[in-house]
Amino acid sequence: MLPIALSELAQIFRNRSVLITSFVMPIAVSAFFIHQHDVFAEIGSLGYIAAIVMFTVCAFGLYASSVTTLAARRQNLFLKRLRSTAAGDAEILTGLVLPVVVIALVQVTAIMAVLAAVTTAPDNVPLLVAAVLATAVMMVGLGLATAGLTNSPEHAQVTTLPVCLGVVAVASWVGISGTEDFTLLKRLLPGGSATELVVNAWNGGVAVTDSLLLLAPTLAWVVVAATLAARLFRWEPRR
Amino acid sequence: MSTTPVIEVERLNVHYGDFHAVEDLSFHVLRGELYALLGTNGAGKTSTLETVEGHRTATSGAVRVFGQSPGDRAAVRPRMGIMLQDSGFTPDLTVAESVRLIGTLTRRADSVDRVLDVVDLTRKAGTKVAQLSGGEKRRLDFATAVYGTPELIFLDEPTTGLDIQSRDALWSAVDRMRENGTTVVLTTHYLEEAQQHADRIGLMHRGTLHREGTVAELTRTLPSVIRFSLPTPAPEPPLRAAREGDDRYLVETFGLQKDMHVLLSWAEDHGLELRELEAGPTRLDDVFRAIGDS
Repeated sequence: MLPIALSELAQIFRNRSVLITSFVMPIAVSAFFIHQHDVFAEIGSLGYIAAIVMFTVCAFGLYASSVTTLAARRQNLFLKRLRSTAAGDAEILTGLVLPVVVIALVQVTAIMAVLAAVTTAPDNVPLLVAAVLATAVMMVGLGLATAGLTNSPEHAQVTTLPVCLGVVAVASWVGISGTEDFTLLKRLLPGGSATELVVNAWNGGVAVTDSLLLLAPTLAWVVVAATLAARLFRWEPRR
Repeated sequence: MSTTPVIEVERLNVHYGDFHAVEDLSFHVLRGELYALLGTNGAGKTSTLETVEGHRTATSGAVRVFGQSPGDRAAVRPRMGIMLQDSGFTPDLTVAESVRLIGTLTRRADSVDRVLDVVDLTRKAGTKVAQLSGGEKRRLDFATAVYGTPELIFLDEPTTGLDIQSRDALWSAVDRMRENGTTVVLTTHYLEEAQQHADRIGLMHRGTLHREGTVAELTRTLPSVIRFSLPTPAPEPPLRAAREGDDRYLVETFGLQKDMHVLLSWAEDHGLELRELEAGPTRLDDVFRAIGDS
């Protein structure tokens, strides 16, 4: 797994367009949110800023990069090449997405650390970590499923849009308006309960046990994504 | 060559929906053997090969490689190298990085420098794959297949796009590996390569194994051919000579040397010149054409 992950990491840093669109742009957007934190805290809260930053990185960095990487590696038959070795399927997939996951987690951690430094620290850090990790796993699962529907890296620019824009929109809706109205709908939408969890973890004021229950819908999306990925993911291009 | 089978295929069927790519196919490959699997386009070679390699699941039938299922990658792949028909390398990695990555994942021990030397890519070690020519990518592909000197290698169209020097170098490397007991499964459209290097050949047509045997066994089923032209007017030639044109004749024979002697003696006796005389043993491509026409 590690050799695959290291080779992917090398390729990310050699491919300028991937580096800029998937990793520099989310940081730039996040920097804007932090710079304007007074405005966005007034619209929603500091927890809302944390949630929107997390989803921006996880959607445009982690998710979109995973889909693009897997589609590109399949299109040029690199996946088939890897499967001609002794490496197992799980080892191959983990190695391919590990770098983007690690980069996304480092980005989210750094951005939230800056947000905490310029504003106030989160109320419950372990809960925040749990929310970030659950979201990352959900986005990886959705990435594997979407990769099954994506024929090429160019096609990924289209196929990733619904999830990228969808989770950011849900995060904004839940982060700004809360979950007092349409509670069930907001929590069941992908990213809805994760946003509420991040908001609760950062702002505080909600019992931890109540917040932990919000992990369930996010983990349910992980199961849905894994099921879809198992059905949709292809190792070779369509003939 | 040993009598131990490295590959055993029994009544293999590979179907894609209603399309039957491979039907009831059985063959085996012995340890140390070079077995060429040849066939017309769409004959089912690729489906067969990919099933034996473990890239595809059989619809029915049994495939064993080293006595194990080829789908058990952890057990089987460290003992086999696969040269794919299409390269399948990422453009942003260098030649050395690509060999090191794939080589490491084969779980075999070897040196990247040694393998690059075998395929004459040492000077390109630091070059990105994107900057390689088609022939260089085929050599890179071969390098990953022979990394760690596996017991079994699959060569799928190995010399397509290679110049003559690179072809010779590749076959020299294959010959050296065979001297150490490596088993080779080859598919190619260059029939002369199969004729020259294969111990046995399986000829596939429409999903089945149409014929199988050594080159001698396959070619002896078809007659050799003598072609010549005679000046007009000329007496009727001996043997069963069929006319191909006004003055052009064709003789099919299973006794080439004897009939050539008869023909040349006849021409000498009549003071005739056999113009554009062509004669030769049956070649593999004649067998191939006969199958394609059937």
